[in-house]
Amino acid sequence: MSFEFFLRESWTGFRRSGIMSVVSLVTITVSLVVFGAFLLAVANLGNIASIIGSKMEIAAYVDKNIDDSSAAAISLQISAIEGVESVKFVSKEEAWKNFRSDYEGRLALGEIISENPLPNTFLIKVKSPQATSAAAKKISNMAVINEVRYSGNLADRFQSVLDLIRVSGFILVALLIIATLLIVVNTIKLTVIARQTDIYIMRLVGATNSFIKWPFIMEGVLIGLIGAALSFIILKFSYDLAVHELQDFMPFIPLITSGYRLFWIYISVSAIGVVLGMLGAYISVNSLLKGD
Amino acid sequence: MIVLRNVSKIYPKGVEALSNVDLCIGKEEFVFIVGPTGSGKSTLLKLLYREEFATNGQVLLDRVNLSEMKDSQIPFLRRNIGVVFQDYKLLPNRTIYENVAFALQVMGASRSFIRRHAGQALELVGLFKKANCFPGELSGGEQQRACIARAIVNNPPLVLADEPTGNLDPSTSWEIIHLLDKINKRNTTVIVTTHNKSIVDGMRKRVIALEAGRIIRDQQLGVYSNVL
Repeated sequence: MSFEFFLRESWTGFRRSGIMSVVSLVTITVSLVVFGAFLLAVANLGNIASIIGSKMEIAAYVDKNIDDSSAAAISLQISAIEGVESVKFVSKEEAWKNFRSDYEGRLALGEIISENPLPNTFLIKVKSPQATSAAAKKISNMAVINEVRYSGNLADRFQSVLDLIRVSGFILVALLIIATLLIVVNTIKLTVIARQTDIYIMRLVGATNSFIKWPFIMEGVLIGLIGAALSFIILKFSYDLAVHELQDFMPFIPLITSGYRLFWIYISVSAIGVVLGMLGAYISVNSLLKGD
Repeated sequence: MIVLRNVSKIYPKGVEALSNVDLCIGKEEFVFIVGPTGSGKSTLLKLLYREEFATNGQVLLDRVNLSEMKDSQIPFLRRNIGVVFQDYKLLPNRTIYENVAFALQVMGASRSFIRRHAGQALELVGLFKKANCFPGELSGGEQQRACIARAIVNNPPLVLADEPTGNLDPSTSWEIIHLLDKINKRNTTVIVTTHNKSIVDGMRKRVIALEAGRIIRDQQLGVYSNVL
């Protein structure tokens, strides 16, 4: 009977505190949405960074037309450079074909560009990211190579930007969580104060402290749960929408769509909501109902 | 059952509500505590249900010294004491039945136990038919009977009534006192504070008179005042 009793008590408490319950519900929802949006952003940026990092390739371009045998000779020459793991030759025809099949239907390339604009390319894999720049330098010194590009610097820079976002985001989220906690504490305090008579009578008829405290803590959990549910709906809806829109406009950005990773983000956001509600209620109840 | 030894109570602001009170109340007694406002009647009751504790001296209830009782034990003490108030202290947004059942829910009683005992208590005080009314829909006398039902629903050995007739007209007051008398006859110790002279004189029970925190008279089959 007790659990049902507590549930009913906390629901009544929630309704009775009216506007303050709504205020804390909105606050908790907003901070959970911000928190969730932040987690999603960091996860996606991290994803992009790791994809960039894993593509630690050097691309060496040759503008003039070369035949297969000279391509093989250049490949061999590049392989001899220290730190190079493998070399792959992509002829300009091949590259153009790949590019077109990648963007088939999305971009009407044939109408814009009639001539193949792509150079012959050697794709070079290096043994370690540290070896990249030295190898790239040596390759660019070769007479036949017109241009060398590699993503090492970009990945590094991206990583440091990501770290900055992470740190500032965590500070922002921490502040938000503290603010939310304080508002929950206040809401529950108001409920407790509004129910002083009830509490007095409960004490008189022999209710233990924990019996008195439970409904209030459950009320906090209730606020947290509803907030978590609302923020989940908002986050899921807007993220799915964002993914849908971005995939259309910028199909080359690799967004996370795996249900598993998103599931964990949503779960941790909801858990934070429930914990916030419970902790807030616990703090306020303990500060108001000290001992007997 | 109840023993007070040299009990004094001084409130934090320095008001001495009781001074050097010695008192002994046996099992199943019916006792009136009389005296003017501020004489310490309510404080005496509060010491017994540990709303307050004595500044000096010992308050013993069934040989347990209440001053030494741990806070965590107080709820269990109160489950053995029913308290009746002048202003009833019913929860306004609960029905009479829920108010009475509340005292049992607090103890974690089962649903069927609650239904049976709450029903019996309401039957005893004659409110069975008004079980689903809210306190605001009842008269003062009925609310007081509901308060009594709540006090006795778990069959406590001791019932304390603090000015139970203070807000009631004479005939309703008599109903309430008769009800408390009936409860006393079911082997419950009943202590009633009052300044209702006609009731005390009419009942002829033990009377303890307080004045300025001291016992000035303790009389079996007593009356409200010896001064004619």
